[in-house]
Amino acid sequence: MLANVTRCALARGIQSIRLLPVRAMSITTRNSSENQQKFVTSKIAALQLPQIRNYSAKEPLTLKFIEERITLVLNLYDKIDPEKLKRDSHFMKDLGLDSLDHVEIIMAIEDEFGFEIPDMDAERLYTVKDIVRYIGDKEDIYE
Amino acid sequence: MASAHTLRIKNIYKRSLRLLESWYDHRFQYRYQAVLMRDRFDKNRNIKDPREIERVVEEAEKELFLKQHPQPRKFANSPGGVAYEREVVPPDWIVDYWHPLEKAQYPEYFARREERKKEYLAMWDKKYGKSSSEEHH
Repeated sequence: MLANVTRCALARGIQSIRLLPVRAMSITTRNSSENQQKFVTSKIAALQLPQIRNYSAKEPLTLKFIEERITLVLNLYDKIDPEKLKRDSHFMKDLGLDSLDHVEIIMAIEDEFGFEIPDMDAERLYTVKDIVRYIGDKEDIYE
Repeated sequence: MASAHTLRIKNIYKRSLRLLESWYDHRFQYRYQAVLMRDRFDKNRNIKDPREIERVVEEAEKELFLKQHPQPRKFANSPGGVAYEREVVPPDWIVDYWHPLEKAQYPEYFARREERKKEYLAMWDKKYGKSSSEEHH
């Protein structure tokens, strides 16, 4: 469940995860005493992510940061074993995914970096290394 | 490299997931529908008869056409998205075209800029060899 929520948050930006605690508050506080309410709100405040960048440009990227983000997305994908995932491991040959899983992975990467990856480009992206290189080229990052 | 058929199916799968994403705003609803969609694809995975395959694919295309969204979701920073070209980054060479009077207001910066240009040219020549003065176009 947590993995799913995190994955949603990754895919849709931070907005969706910020919506969750608010909704939980309205349900849990309806029938509880004031003390409990305080406790819950403090817990929720701790859960909420600080919003740092509002209406601003994208965060500056580096190849290392891109790779971290890609590995996180792939680790959260339920069909990939995080321990097997290496920089060079081929999604289909080494990790045993099928072509539809590959589509899902590419879509998750698209959502993470916020631009569409055309089908013909996606056909060349079967390892973490290739995806890092591709995103770097698209975003003009060389080091 | 995947076969043409695989590519076609992958394309249909991607389009159908994106379509579901446009129709279902909440992520959990979308995820539920996406799992159902994946199941539909998996059920047809073992069809061998080319005619049957063609029929199924055509049906899928038809369904995609009939269910298309009037306002499909677009990536914010891509063409058609809400934030497309919101952030304009002026190219660096713009500064070279300032009026000399404007440049004179920042003497230190422009002196250093000229230095950097010379360094860059030297670096280029060192890396790729002297460029010939002849123009080839």
